[in-house]
Amino acid sequence: MTGLTMETILQVKNLSVIFNTFEGKILALDRVGFDLFAGETLGIVGESGCGKSVTALSILRLIASPPGEVTSGQIIYAGKDLMTLSPSAMRDIRGEKISMIFQEPATSLSPVFTVGEQIAEVFRQHLGLKRREALEQSVEMLKKVNIPEPQMACRCYPYEMSGGMRQRVMIAMALACNPKVLLADEPTTALDVTIQAQVIDLIKQLQQDMGMSVIYITHDLGVVAHISMRVIVMYVGRIVEEAPVMDLLMSPMHPYTQGLIDSIPKLGEKIRGKKAPLKEIKGMVPSLLNLPPGCKFSERCRHVMDLCRQREPELMQIAPGRLCRCWLHHSKGENST
Amino acid sequence: MRKPVLQVENLVKRFPIKSGVFRKTVGFVHAVDGISFTLKSGESLGLVGESGCGKSTAVKSLLRLIEPSEGHIFFEGQDVTHVESSQLRRLRQDLQIVFQDPYSSLDPRFTVGQSIAEPLEIFKTCASRGEREERIAQLLHMVGLYPEFAKRYPHEFSGGQRQRICIARALAMNPKVIIGDELVSALDVSIKAQVINLMEAIQAELGLSYLIISHDLAVVEHMCDRICVMYLGRFVEVAGDRELIRNPLHPYTQALLSAVFEPDPASKQMRTVLEGDVPSPINPPSGCHFHTRCPIAEQICRQQSPALLEVGPEHLVACHKVAES
Repeated sequence: MTGLTMETILQVKNLSVIFNTFEGKILALDRVGFDLFAGETLGIVGESGCGKSVTALSILRLIASPPGEVTSGQIIYAGKDLMTLSPSAMRDIRGEKISMIFQEPATSLSPVFTVGEQIAEVFRQHLGLKRREALEQSVEMLKKVNIPEPQMACRCYPYEMSGGMRQRVMIAMALACNPKVLLADEPTTALDVTIQAQVIDLIKQLQQDMGMSVIYITHDLGVVAHISMRVIVMYVGRIVEEAPVMDLLMSPMHPYTQGLIDSIPKLGEKIRGKKAPLKEIKGMVPSLLNLPPGCKFSERCRHVMDLCRQREPELMQIAPGRLCRCWLHHSKGENST
Repeated sequence: MRKPVLQVENLVKRFPIKSGVFRKTVGFVHAVDGISFTLKSGESLGLVGESGCGKSTAVKSLLRLIEPSEGHIFFEGQDVTHVESSQLRRLRQDLQIVFQDPYSSLDPRFTVGQSIAEPLEIFKTCASRGEREERIAQLLHMVGLYPEFAKRYPHEFSGGQRQRICIARALAMNPKVIIGDELVSALDVSIKAQVINLMEAIQAELGLSYLIISHDLAVVEHMCDRICVMYLGRFVEVAGDRELIRNPLHPYTQALLSAVFEPDPASKQMRTVLEGDVPSPINPPSGCHFHTRCPIAEQICRQQSPALLEVGPEHLVACHKVAES
């Protein structure tokens, strides 16, 4: 799993996004950059408002403008910068080369079309299939995502299905054209635990079968530990740490990552005789309208120094594949950009 | 031996399904199907289950926010299943609830102070306005907020702070029991830990009993002394926290435990992934409700519903297969 030898399939460079709101300009993403390698799963973790969904949406250029605006950055896919493509060329990318699944399957499906028709639309749009062929293909897709009686399911409306079934339909739709990249934005957050386990196993298995790359966005470090190989941790629109998943969980570098891992209640802790209050991160995520100067985590950090309050550290490469934005590790690193 | 505060016996709640012009009752949703438990003083009891298993309905019937169809609820030894008006109001002083979504459970047009003052005014527990303000300041301090916040409106606060306000409001009446219905589910990871710690600190200080409802086993295990696992309106397993995690006996509990994704790369254990969905509570499966998804189901499971039997000290399981062995 050494990322260095693998082929890069998607590159995000220096991406900045602002939103114009009544209260002022919000910098939702600040110079975010990362590579996605062929066949890997990259996890993006962070709390609400950290910019993880905005990252995924801007890769597909789905940020509504206004109020949103991409102020800088490139998204390189197959040698082309997606930011410069025409709307029609972009439509050919969406759903065919790069597709996305969202958190809330109930609101992402149309209530007035049957599930089969909605999946068939993808085939008709991208592959130019006729209605009947497209519907046959839809049944095949539903079979692939383990929906029992796919023929029947094809004629169902979304309201007739459970949350787990709907999310499977979303996955079937996203994977209809064998995309190279799948963006999964909290696909299991709205689901029950046993159903979440089913859906995550399904995504994992389909990824292996189809050989695609996945960007898996979640707030749940437990899920990330099981699905991804590399993880990016985000905080108020910035990448604060990037590392292979094992390294991140065993030896997190950034104090925010350490805090996140410590603050999760873990099963069986009491059996191991460690009943103690959870180690919490003090304070709360600052408002994007009113960010502290210097390091954005400085107000909540256990190791804060004077320097942190004055200047913001850069994202530095500390070791091969390990990046961290913190003054504690700054001397060990070299600038990644 | 701790004194029981709240006892529930064979609680049943059915919602009628009405259809047609004359709104004829055509069926029932069996939301809660005969559950019994005891909450002792100073104890935290957890209720775990997936959505639709009836955990929220169960606690709402306890508070009489909805009327239970059958069964009995005892509060400090007194049957409160059918008490009316003044007695019911007294019951609700002692039983408080904090809901999942702190955004919808605070009135956006009330200041925080007004929201917390409302129960104080209704029950006239404070003699003067000054005394009331003092009490509000004290409550806010107790949940880790500043007294000045009383003059602000809910929209000025983050989710975690709002949940603290809801907790302050619940504490206003000096309750004996606090029910937390998915108390931390809507909160961010770093805030979740803060609220859990706050709840535990309050319990240690005031000696309250908690009834914690959650779908998150790790949260329930952290906060509770005993855990009840619920499936489709019934308890399938009840045990002490350590016992349940170490020695889960019901196949559903085992599946639930193995479905938890732990942020620990060393714990890549084999998972038993359940097939299918939770069946509808309108037509629950015959016999054991879990038999449609159970990996070890047999003929008897389809015909007879298993009783909740004690298989070890304070460890109850409703499963034919476990009872056999």
